[in-house]
Amino acid sequence: MTDAIELVPARALLVPRPRIRLELQPGDRVTAMVGDVVRAGEVVAERIRDPRLVEAPVPRAGVDQGTPLPGTWLPGEHARAGRRVGAPAGELLFEHGGRRRLATGPHPDRLHAPADGYVLEVEAGVALVLQIDGPGLVATELLGEPHSGRLIVMPEDADPRIVLDVALAGAVIVLQGRVDAEALARARAMGIHGAVVGSLADRERRDLAASSARQQAGLHRLAPFGALVLGGYLRRPLSAAVRAVLDAASGSVVGLVGDPPLLLIPADRELPLPEPDRVVVRGGLEAGSEGRWLGPAGIRRLRGGITAETGLVALDDGRTLAIPIGELERFAVPVSSG
Amino acid sequence: MNLVKPGTAELSVDARPTPTPDGTEPVAEAREPFTHDRPPAFFTLDHGTATLAGALVGRVDERWRLLAATALPAGGSPDALAALLVDRFRSADPARAAAMAGGPGRRTRKGTRPPPAWPRLAASSVPAETLAIIAATERTRARLEDAAVGAGWNVVAGSAERTDPLELTRLATRPGVVALLVGVADPPDVEERDLAAELAVAAAGIAARRPGLRIFLAGPVPAAPLLDAWGAPVVARLPAPTGAPGDLADSALRAALASARSGPDDSRRALAAAAGSLARVLSLRVEILEIGVAGAARVVALPAPADDGGVAATVHLVEVPDAALFRMDHPGSIDRVDHWFTQGLDRARLRDRLAELAIAPWSDIDGDGALLRGAALRAAVERLLAATDPVLGVGGVDLVIGAGGAWSAVPAPAAAHVVADVVRRPGAVQAAIDHARLLGPLGTIADDAERDAVLADLVDDLLLPLGTIVMPRGLRPNRAAGHLYLDAGGARTEVELVAGGLTLVDLPPGVTGTAELAFRGTPELGPHGRRFRVAVSGGLAGLLLDLRDIPLRLPERADRRRELLGTWERALWPEHDA
Repeated sequence: MTDAIELVPARALLVPRPRIRLELQPGDRVTAMVGDVVRAGEVVAERIRDPRLVEAPVPRAGVDQGTPLPGTWLPGEHARAGRRVGAPAGELLFEHGGRRRLATGPHPDRLHAPADGYVLEVEAGVALVLQIDGPGLVATELLGEPHSGRLIVMPEDADPRIVLDVALAGAVIVLQGRVDAEALARARAMGIHGAVVGSLADRERRDLAASSARQQAGLHRLAPFGALVLGGYLRRPLSAAVRAVLDAASGSVVGLVGDPPLLLIPADRELPLPEPDRVVVRGGLEAGSEGRWLGPAGIRRLRGGITAETGLVALDDGRTLAIPIGELERFAVPVSSG
Repeated sequence: MNLVKPGTAELSVDARPTPTPDGTEPVAEAREPFTHDRPPAFFTLDHGTATLAGALVGRVDERWRLLAATALPAGGSPDALAALLVDRFRSADPARAAAMAGGPGRRTRKGTRPPPAWPRLAASSVPAETLAIIAATERTRARLEDAAVGAGWNVVAGSAERTDPLELTRLATRPGVVALLVGVADPPDVEERDLAAELAVAAAGIAARRPGLRIFLAGPVPAAPLLDAWGAPVVARLPAPTGAPGDLADSALRAALASARSGPDDSRRALAAAAGSLARVLSLRVEILEIGVAGAARVVALPAPADDGGVAATVHLVEVPDAALFRMDHPGSIDRVDHWFTQGLDRARLRDRLAELAIAPWSDIDGDGALLRGAALRAAVERLLAATDPVLGVGGVDLVIGAGGAWSAVPAPAAAHVVADVVRRPGAVQAAIDHARLLGPLGTIADDAERDAVLADLVDDLLLPLGTIVMPRGLRPNRAAGHLYLDAGGARTEVELVAGGLTLVDLPPGVTGTAELAFRGTPELGPHGRRFRVAVSGGLAGLLLDLRDIPLRLPERADRRRELLGTWERALWPEHDA
């Protein structure tokens, strides 16, 4: 019988030098250029909060330097007395029938680089692609906006209602215990840049999204805030491998991004790698337990008459159990995304 | 698997092709592409979004037989899976395994033996990609959307009639969009003719922003602006949308969009090919209900006499991404799962559990996790049927096959219960599961004759028989409805029928027989009548007499509904309380 751990689905823990995308919309103005080296916190684009469509006549021949391509940012035109009003500055969508369709709008917000790296690609009105210098810890979703800040790992049993403090303004905090939308909204109100959570229930996600939408609609916005979810919807303890990475990154300036969902860690941090035969139980009666893979244990009949392939696992608490392989996962050796 | 054609003489399932005059079997010729060196076995691999299923098929007594099969969560190694299958076969039949492999196989330093280098037939299903549709009018948008959804795409759509160019550009450039479909009707009306040129220019603007975006033009949309666009986008011309919105008859546009979406090893298209082979080999009307974590499909294959005297088959495939197992983004989706779930769970918790299963489909596989999967499966099949009934109709078939990992996540009798609960059609139908996930990989065999031959060999192994479901319509509830007389296995069984419930009659796999139903009224069982004679085949659930309403009516009150559903569930799934 083979003892192949390859039967257990592997999940990436870290991505070295990830390529990340910062989402843009038509009308947003990119201030960085391809090849530019950027540092965490640097402004790379201006985002239009409420883009709108403007139609303007195509200027007379010779005014443009060549024919502008869709996605080009065009400067505003002054009104010409008695003839027509001037066009505002905006991004060209397309020209048709002698008229230009421009995306424009007031109240630009600034988009900051979430980590050190360089600009790899600019897709006007679509995305800004950055190549990041350091590794990224893999998450499942970013709620809110990309941001960066000093990483502070809160104690495992810390109650967010008590430990959140204005002294944490500008930081990215790791909340290991139960988290709700109210705690995250408080964190944002205190100027905290972001939170890393193990899991977040759907209701809390929707509450947070609604709260963010209200912020978006307000004239005076608070600073951007991101909540990075490392796991799923049901509360589970962070795995030892993830905790070890967070501990190693604690105190450094980290970034939160959503495409792909990652916690960006500075390149100079030495991070622990997962042990190859270590497995985590992600569901069932032993959910949250960890242990060492011993080998396949064959097809077994489980509770409720279900049959499934199982594997033998030596759990850290000393028990050796046959656990459905579907409820196990392991962390794979990091592979570059770029 | 013994299958019968209800209402007709029993079909002989030994449907191997007739030897040719020179004494050779066409089966051997047909297998040539993956049996160049006449290997004694091959692997099948079905790479699903949630599951990696594998099987080992080998030649035993000059026939292909299923030797081992299993399934693991996606993300596991196919090589490790193949090794596991070979190990399992070696343990069961060491002598035959050694003979097939040409020896016991060399062990590595770790004591493991790599799997023999036998051919692999692989099919894969990928999550539905997103297609942005921009159309001139709302009517055309609806028709394009119908075609794209039926072809398995996730769709975001807008029309120039309702949406401004900025919004259309945002729609087509949002994350996840991989292709753009621009369409107008053919011939266009006056309004569309004016808008077609502007749409083409807008599409060129979008293409300039998104290099590599695939662009499809349906109908008389001018291609010139796109051909001049920055980055020279790849533009494909597709047929114009036809029919009225909601009229989902097989369209050339849908077929073209399906081809554009999937590769040659796409498991859902392969399922359609396999269904055609099954219809030809078994001469049965076959329906496959495939439910996956990232998509779903319904296939109907109908046999018909061929010009050459053999059997041909017409096959219809409709994909429905919205019927994916844990897809809960439509209003009411959660309510339908809750409707079928026999455990009380508050709505927020139910939503979280389903969302968690969408991320980790194999977690919580036993206990009430299995019951939740059963409820989600019923809701998904409901969505699949609701979306495809207008296209494929509600006509009776002889054999319903559950395909996809969701059907194997519940015990086989419980799967039969799912079919009975949701596929509510008067008549008699046999039910089975593609338990080893063979249909997809076998469907990738390009040549029909070759595929038919392999399926004919494997027909006893590839389907797990659940039994026969007999479902009359028009009985008065909670009253004595008549009698059933079952002649099977040399014995005669009499059962009193009471309308409104489920009655289970023992009929093991491999056993066929005849059921005579004598009703007090004149219900519909295909035709209306008082006495029926139906050929039935056995399975792990047996003969299921479903005398409940069509459509199924359940109590409005949640506690009463759960109690009633639980009663039926326990009858077919006695371990579910364990």
